[in-house]
Formats: sequence, C-alpha cells, structure tokens
Amino acid sequence: MNCENVKEQLPEWLNEQLPAAERAVLDDHLAGCPDCRQELNATRQLWQRLENIPTPEMRPEVRTQFYAMLGTFKAEETARQRSRWTALVHRLLPWWKPQAALRLAYSLLLVAVGVAAGYGLQYWQMPPLAYKQQIDTLSAQVVEMRQMMMLSLLENPSATERLRAVSFTKDITDVDGRIIDALLTTLNNDPNVNVRLVTLEALVELAGDARVREGLVQALTRQESPLVQVALADVMVQLQERKSIKPLRQLLRREDTNDLVKAKLAQTIRELS
Amino acid sequence: MDNALMLKVREGDLDKMGLLFERYHRELFGFLYHMSGQPDGSEDMVQTVFYRMLKYRHTFTGEGSFRAWMYHLARNVLADFRQKHKRSAQQYDLANYAEKIAGGLAADEALHKEQELAALREALASLSPDYREVLVLSRFQELKYEEIARVLGTTEGAVKVRVHRAMQELKKFFFSIEQ
Ligand SMILES: [Zn+2]
Repeated sequence: MNCENVKEQLPEWLNEQLPAAERAVLDDHLAGCPDCRQELNATRQLWQRLENIPTPEMRPEVRTQFYAMLGTFKAEETARQRSRWTALVHRLLPWWKPQAALRLAYSLLLVAVGVAAGYGLQYWQMPPLAYKQQIDTLSAQVVEMRQMMMLSLLENPSATERLRAVSFTKDITDVDGRIIDALLTTLNNDPNVNVRLVTLEALVELAGDARVREGLVQALTRQESPLVQVALADVMVQLQERKSIKPLRQLLRREDTNDLVKAKLAQTIRELS
Repeated sequence: MDNALMLKVREGDLDKMGLLFERYHRELFGFLYHMSGQPDGSEDMVQTVFYRMLKYRHTFTGEGSFRAWMYHLARNVLADFRQKHKRSAQQYDLANYAEKIAGGLAADEALHKEQELAALREALASLSPDYREVLVLSRFQELKYEEIARVLGTTEGAVKVRVHRAMQELKKFFFSIEQ
C-alpha cells in the first residue's frame, strides 16, 4: 500500500467507516511511515475541530408554522379530493352529516317528544291508543320538519349548505314527490358540479321510485358537465336502465360532447344493448 | 420505520408527516444551516422541504431510505435558495467573522478559540458546494458513505475520493486563514 492510497483513506479512518481488515493494514503502514502519521494528525485535528462549529437552535415558531402549513395542506387536499368524482362518494360519507346546530334542534325536539309522552302517561293516564296517536303525530312533525329544512336549505346560496341539504335525504324515511322534484331540479339546474354529483348519488338511492328513474333518464340530455355526463352513464349501467339508450345516443351525436365522454357513452350503449 | 410512516403519508394519512417532522426537523436544519450559513434562511428551507415532501409524496417509492429522499429534496431546495440569494450567501461568513473579532473583550484564550472557529467557518464556506456537501453529510449529519452515495446519485468510491479532496481543500483554506 502506497502513501497516496493511505492518505485517501484517512477521512474514512477518522469516520470509523473503514472495515476492520483495511483498518489493520492502514495501522501497519502508519506505524512505519512518519510522513503519513503527520498527515493523519493534521487531518484529525481539523476533523475534530469541525465538531466545534455549533448549530444554532431553531425558533419555536418553526414548529407552529409547520403544523399550520400541514393543516392548510390537508384542507386544500380535501377540497381537491371532493372535486373528483370517484373519490367523492367515499370521502364525503363521514363528512356527510346534517349541520351540528340542526342536529341539536332534532335532539331537543325528540327529548320534548319523550318528555311530553312521559308527562301525558303520568298525569293524564291516556289510553294506549291515544298515546300512540300522539307519538305518531309528533313523529310526523319531525319528518315534516326535516323535509322543510331540506327544501329550504336547497335554496341556500352556499354550495356547502346545498350539499348538506342533499345529504338530508338519507335521513328522510318516506321521501315524497316534493323532495324528488326538488332533487331533480337541483340535479338539472344547480350551478355547482359537486352539488349536482352528490344529488345524483342521492337520487340513485331512491331509484326504486319510477319517477326518479324517469327523471334520471331525462337528465342525460340536460347536463353540460362531462363529469356529470359520465357519472350519469355509470348510473344507467348500474340501474340497467334500457330506456336511457335513446338519450345516450342523442348525447353521443351532439357536436359539443367531449370526445372522452363520447367514448364512455359508446361503451355504455354497448353494455345496455 | 420512517419508510413505513412516509408510505402512510403517501397513501393519504397526512398527519403522519407530523411524526416525521418531530423526528427530522433538527437534523434537516443542521444540514441546511451548515450548507448555507444562514439560520433564518434555513428555517424557511426546513418548511419548504416538508411542504415538498407533502406535495411530492407520490415520488417516494420506499426503495431507498426516507432519510436519503429527504436529503435529495433538501438539496434541490438549497439550490433554489442559492440561486435567489447569490450575493448575501457569500457575505454571511465574513460579516460573522468581523462580528466575532469586534467582541474583543474576551480573555485571550477564548478569543483565540473564537477566531479559530471563525476561520474554520470561513474555510468551510469557501469550499465549493460539492465539497462542502460531502463534509457536512459525513461529519455533521453522520451519514454513511453508502447513504451519501444514494443522496448524490453516485458510487461509494466517488464519495470516498470527494471527501478526501474536500479535506485537502479545507486544510489549505484553514491554514491560510489562520496565518
Ligand atoms: Zn506513508
């Protein structure tokens, strides 16, 4: 081993990164070569002195700023996800709950129902039938209140509020004609694509109703957004709705239909025919 | 362990980035500080590196170590920083040195140590970024040559040679400043 090689290995020797066998060879050479020993000492001195260069402490604000940045990033990410159809359904579900205040109003109303019922039983000694009727009346009022709230929320200028309104349909047990009309109107006219997509999802849940299926078929030719068009096409396959073939063909022939959407439509028609 | 955390972040569990921040922000700051000589700028760069980790989380494949990936991103941030602050970056160490000398009320020995330290900083700052980088990574960050090679996208042998040359350069600068 020559001196040049030895000098090249000195940092590794100091780093303690040299394998034992190579280290032994190097030590042997150093023992017999004053020139290399001097080089080692100079390098070692400098190497050790480097450690004396202090690293300042970071300000504690850096941590606060990091968590603020992380929070903002997550919020933006959620917003991005929400605008994507496939991610939409899955990610929105946990978030998809009535507004806390409205929920509280329900709870209070239900407590009132219970108290009133208990009160009635205890003091008025109502016959069981009358008691049941009263409960039914109150329950009907709860349903009515839910429906009214949903219908009025659908008129809200905020898209977020309209999204919540649509999600209310999940809690409404007997959906009547007014609700279906309101949802179909929203599907066809809401300016916000996300609201339209979520409305579509809510309507699919109600597809047992003939009016809903009819409304969905009609909606096909009324949608301008490629996202909603594709989602509707998927729904038609899901429902195996053969009545949709005609409007699908109409949409396919239209000049302003996006090329990707056209490919999707052609495939949908094949799957339904 | 770190790889598993980063893979979770990649899958969308963004909160796991908090754990990685707690574990690595000091080390990262050390690297950026010794490379740039600027504490404030380094704090900003730490934020930028973590932001880019979130933004480009999909580029983490889990093949190399998380640490290597972090340094890879940090080098890019540092390159942008250098581009933006070309002048001030070179002036930092000299200003710092002058400041140290001005505080001349200290005892002789303390003063000598201060001067020596200032000389060492200046020598380190005078190195080309390529040389300074391998010294910082091996001496301050205690990365193995193998890891350094991965960060720099080169071989272990090349790292070995570069560390040796960097030490030679440092010695030359240091002793010329000291005299
Ligand atoms: Zn020798």
